[in-house]
Amino acid sequence: MALKSFQHDQHTYSIAYEIVNPTAKHDIIILHGWGSSKEIMKQAFEPYMGRFRHIYIDLPGFGGSINHTVLDTTEYARILEAFFELIAAKKEIIVGHSFGGKVATLLNPDLLVLLSSAGISVPKPLKIKMKIKLTKFANALGIKKLGKLFRAKDAKALNTLMYETFKKVVDEDFTDEFKSFHNKALICWGEDDTATPLLSGQKISNLIDKNRFTVYQGDHFFFINRAKSIASEIEEEYLK
Amino acid sequence: MNLAILFGGASYEHEISIVSAITLKDKLSSLDLTFIFLDQDHTFYLIDADKMRAKTFSSGSYKQFKQLNLEKGGFVQRAFLSSKRLVIDKVLNLIHGADGEDATVASLFEFYDIAYIGPRKDASVMSFDKFLTKAYASACEVDTVSYELLSGQRETKIPLPFIIKPTRLGSSIGVSIVKAQDELDYALDVAYELDDRLLIEPFIEGVKEYNVAGCMSASGLELSIVEEPQKEEFLDFDKKYLDFSRSQKVHEADISDALKQELYTAFEKIYLPVFEGALIRCDFFVVEGKVLLNEINPIPGSMANYLFTDFTEVIKNLSLPKKKEIRVNYNYLHSIRSAKGKA
Repeated sequence: MALKSFQHDQHTYSIAYEIVNPTAKHDIIILHGWGSSKEIMKQAFEPYMGRFRHIYIDLPGFGGSINHTVLDTTEYARILEAFFELIAAKKEIIVGHSFGGKVATLLNPDLLVLLSSAGISVPKPLKIKMKIKLTKFANALGIKKLGKLFRAKDAKALNTLMYETFKKVVDEDFTDEFKSFHNKALICWGEDDTATPLLSGQKISNLIDKNRFTVYQGDHFFFINRAKSIASEIEEEYLK
Repeated sequence: MNLAILFGGASYEHEISIVSAITLKDKLSSLDLTFIFLDQDHTFYLIDADKMRAKTFSSGSYKQFKQLNLEKGGFVQRAFLSSKRLVIDKVLNLIHGADGEDATVASLFEFYDIAYIGPRKDASVMSFDKFLTKAYASACEVDTVSYELLSGQRETKIPLPFIIKPTRLGSSIGVSIVKAQDELDYALDVAYELDDRLLIEPFIEGVKEYNVAGCMSASGLELSIVEEPQKEEFLDFDKKYLDFSRSQKVHEADISDALKQELYTAFEKIYLPVFEGALIRCDFFVVEGKVLLNEINPIPGSMANYLFTDFTEVIKNLSLPKKKEIRVNYNYLHSIRSAKGKA
């Protein structure tokens, strides 16, 4: 593990990261999803793609990376751009899982690898809609506790800053961002994904002009058991 | 002898300590052993000897065991309305890294009057910090590798290749060899994440390394054989520890009697009297015929048992320093009172 602290846009960010195969010529940057950390990504991909310098990053606010501000996805991408410059990382391949997929898309790498990416908003089920209405109503009456009770599991453990960040990023629609991505993309999905349903993957695949879409067995974290075949897909696609 | 083995701790080497304890269970089987586990949240647990397996800890099932508390003179098991004291002659402090080697455990045991094998407070403070170790060695007239101390800076005067070490972490965590300038930035980020003070030392290719362990016993200083450890460039964390649970005996280093004597003399200079009460391992380099102290391990992995012919005897005979008791007699306050005519 390593930690780099730097100034960006009048804030100090400390990014925890880890490099595997430090002398390899080409870079692959790997971003985790919301509430996760680089360890889970590293555990999956470290054994593969030995020809690449792997860069595993904890996004600000997660794992060992500290965050003191409310961020949105664009801001996440800008912070990472600044960080890449400091560690001389090239945006050749960027892998992003879930929320990390949105950040990866904005970073515009030569090869974008989306693993069950977020970015397509799915209509909220009625139950959630009711909870939101009820919470807003309760908040208006000055009852703050109800909202906390209803918060998504992803949001419960968050501090206020990260909860605000969560609210900003969770519903962002990335239709336009996917449309305006014109480099190569590899889209991989778990067929039983309930967090970002398979349908979202198909939509993204229709939005990005050059892409290969592969469906794997598994859920939102399908890549943990499929890292080997995903890795060979990445190598094949990049070296093509 | 009733010996309690204390292991675990809130340390980067927590898991290593568990491996050490499991190894010693086997090595010291002729003693009456008690196993006390300190979890990362600083709760003590009394672990059954037959549950001394890696899984007990990794699965969290240690939490089902009885909790222990410290009281004056020992560990107690508290129950409703009563408490039971553990029968222990000594505690062997086997917590590597923070807690065990940074004077936390030493302070606790001294405060609670518990007899323990392990480095005392001053010994801990000096050996835990690689920079203070240099200062201490120099005061003992033992040479060390030249170095530069960085506290926040990102460049060094020492020419490539060099080694970067966080000053206050035992073992090899965060240590890297920098051979090319473009490796420096990452190596610094790795080391500074762990510590805000770093040592830079020139990397000496093909350096000879020798280890000596020893302790004070009733009959004088007890020294181990001199070992020449197997190594690649330097022992990284995994290698160092995956290796130490080894059970076979090590081969004595093939060196001249003169060098052996020199290593023993250096060990003695370092050990006496500050490290009394502990079984320590000193790692030396020999560069151009000169003996240099590289590192003091005041709680070496599995207590360097493999360096001794009869490890159990060594532990049995290990002598603890006398503690000066302070008795408060209130003479001064009495004298003030009598001066005021109130006696």
